[in-house]
Amino acid sequence: MDEREVMGLIESFLFVSGDALPIEKIASFIKIDVRSTRKLMDKLIDVFNFERRGLQIIKINDSYQLATRPEYGEKIEEFLGAEEKQTLSQAVLETLSIIAYRQPITRMDIELIRGVKCEYAISVLMDRELIKEVGRMDTPGRPILYGTTDIFLKSFGLRSLEELPSLEE
Amino acid sequence: MDYHIKLDLFEGPLDLLLHLITKAKIKIQDVSITEITEQYLDYLNRMKEFDIEIASEFLVMAATLLYIKSRALLPKPKVEEKEEEDPEEELIRRLTEYKKYKEASEKLRARENIYSSIYYKLPEELINKEEKLLPPIIEGNVQDLVTAFINLMSQRKFSKEEIKVYPIGKRPVSLSRRIHKIKRILSTTSECNFSDFFDRDYGRSDVVITFLALLELLKNNQIHIYQQGQFEEIIIRRVT
Repeated sequence: MDEREVMGLIESFLFVSGDALPIEKIASFIKIDVRSTRKLMDKLIDVFNFERRGLQIIKINDSYQLATRPEYGEKIEEFLGAEEKQTLSQAVLETLSIIAYRQPITRMDIELIRGVKCEYAISVLMDRELIKEVGRMDTPGRPILYGTTDIFLKSFGLRSLEELPSLEE
Repeated sequence: MDYHIKLDLFEGPLDLLLHLITKAKIKIQDVSITEITEQYLDYLNRMKEFDIEIASEFLVMAATLLYIKSRALLPKPKVEEKEEEDPEEELIRRLTEYKKYKEASEKLRARENIYSSIYYKLPEELINKEEKLLPPIIEGNVQDLVTAFINLMSQRKFSKEEIKVYPIGKRPVSLSRRIHKIKRILSTTSECNFSDFFDRDYGRSDVVITFLALLELLKNNQIHIYQQGQFEEIIIRRVT
């Protein structure tokens, strides 16, 4: 198989998977090592971008997923007759950003930073699977520690937590 | 009347303080607590006028501000107590910290706006090879479950010695907890032999609870029971 065929194969894998596909899985199916697969994926992403296709390949934590482009979002919603996706309220978003930058973190520490109760915000974030319980702190009461999920990364177009916009001091 | 519109915009006392500071166009570090306290209390009073319930957090902050102000007015004790952080410094530190995350959340908001309009496809629903190989299934019903249960009970003997092993008497497990446990087992294995569920049941009440839990799950259509053939083991399967 030449490179074009392999890329075509990967593209079709991504299509049927729908969900994000880990690099190891792609590599094992096309029988190339992970490093070369990663290079090939970069190339495939470039091809999609260069040809300005309606679809793009996004990378999240070393997994790849086929997705539409944000600029077509509005038209797609119109086409589907869908309601616009609900965005997060300011309170919820502030809580999320504290969790994102300070994870793992307990509810009490979040509340200390925000100066207000965060129960509701946390329950919204849990419902939307943007955050999850990542463990318990080893202090009395063993409070829950929260961290962000891959859905969080995807929702904000981040490939990994390192890509979070830097905090201004 | 601009405060009327802005009232519900504040996420908390820190947010309100930040707003007052930005409005005054000063840096957090240079804030005069005395001035800001006045504006802060003024704001709370307006909230009262509009009959808006003031959250306790706002009142706590008001108390902190007044405390800082009163400290500034009183002569300082000669011996500096270094154990506690100066409340004013602490407040400034908290404000700076809060501002950092508030700004980060604005950046995240911008990203959210872009990326919330991306769409993905659902995975293809293909029939798993393993599933295909399953032999034909005889559908089971509640009656079959009961029969299997009676068989199982008759095979096992609940002798009196067994009770002596647990003289204190175990607290019976609740039905909902047992249902939860069964669901957990099924979430890892997807299917399980009927008799396996009773392996770790020690007493009669345990067995009954497990059985009730299975009936409940069957009634709610959360499990599926079937047999490979007559008199074969009954298999419990999770409904996906």
